[in-house]
Amino acid sequence: MENKRKWRWGVNRWFVFAAMALAIVGASIFPAVSPHIQVAPEALTEHPLFTLPVIGEFIPTNTLVAVLLVDVILITMALLVRKATRSGELVPKGISGAVEALIEGLYNLTESTAGKWAKSIFPWFATITLMVLFANWLELIPGVDSIGILHQTQHGYPLIQLSQGIAAIVRGEAAAGEAFNVIPYVRVPSTDLNFTVSLAIISVVMTQVIGLRAQGPRYLSKFFNVTTIFKKPGLGLMDLLVSILELISEFSKVLSFSFRLFGNIFAGSVLLFLVGSILPAGAVWMQSGILLFEFFIGLIQAVVFGMLTMVFMSMATHGHGDEEHAEA
Amino acid sequence: MTGDLVAAAKLIGAGLSMIGALGGGVGIGLSVQGALTGMARNPDASGNLLVYMILGIAFSEAIAIYCLVIAFLMLFVL
Repeated sequence: MENKRKWRWGVNRWFVFAAMALAIVGASIFPAVSPHIQVAPEALTEHPLFTLPVIGEFIPTNTLVAVLLVDVILITMALLVRKATRSGELVPKGISGAVEALIEGLYNLTESTAGKWAKSIFPWFATITLMVLFANWLELIPGVDSIGILHQTQHGYPLIQLSQGIAAIVRGEAAAGEAFNVIPYVRVPSTDLNFTVSLAIISVVMTQVIGLRAQGPRYLSKFFNVTTIFKKPGLGLMDLLVSILELISEFSKVLSFSFRLFGNIFAGSVLLFLVGSILPAGAVWMQSGILLFEFFIGLIQAVVFGMLTMVFMSMATHGHGDEEHAEA
Repeated sequence: MTGDLVAAAKLIGAGLSMIGALGGGVGIGLSVQGALTGMARNPDASGNLLVYMILGIAFSEAIAIYCLVIAFLMLFVL
């Protein structure tokens, strides 16, 4: 590292100032509209594409597009790393070096918690963490949640024509029958309960599978504990009741997993739009602060989701009755 | 019911639902207090403590965020 890079702040700060000035001017000419908030993901087509016999109609939604986008990003990353490892270079650089550092950190974390079961727990942990991470960070990209199809509604905004085929909605009262709203092409997947609940179900079900593989049928005594009921009937009955509570807590895990992620990211993406529409044009930089905050929230929620999955899985591999069995 | 009463009830409900953020604030304060006490006694452990502190903060913050979501839903969706 002999040739140090020149200190470029002298140039770059003017770009930052220009961007800030542009944002303030833009926000005062076209003030941001207050967002249309909807819990369910918006459908992109009017009619379902096809109908499956048992499951029902298939309607493409904007969160589905976002999930596919995240998949493409992850698969591209994996293919790049594969190409780099196949090329025979021992020192990884560029994206494969970054991915190697990330994966190594995650694997060491898993090994320190789960011990010898790290090999079967790690794929779930790393996949869930990376998937949720990229899904959360999608909301930081400009255009996500704001570029989309114009849709005629009753409580909408007036339309201005920007150029051929491109229009935008602006703040103000629209004439009846000419009010529009935007249905975004891409919406952050974590703001859709389908995504979070399915990830939570995958995490909880695989926890049971790994527990069964590690402990065999003895794992089931965690949920239906009849091992002590004949030895000491009074306390054994209590054990049975406690183990049934354990079964209920397993279902509540799905709820807490999914609503934690959904709530954080949904509130974040609503906040990003609300701040833009409530504040005056001179304060658009506040939105950048919220954006930075959302960057950390997305990272922390992904790590929390993955870490909890990993901790629950490694707790399932060694039952709490191990010590008693060692004595007997 | 007329529209005005419903609008007022929405605003009051959104405000009331944010009372729940109290618990999140207390939780964050307690976890930071515990971590800071630990860091002051053993500065070498601060790197480890910071990770667990942030995890704890994320958990207690999630409770406050549930309230925020309910408030948003009351204000804009209902």
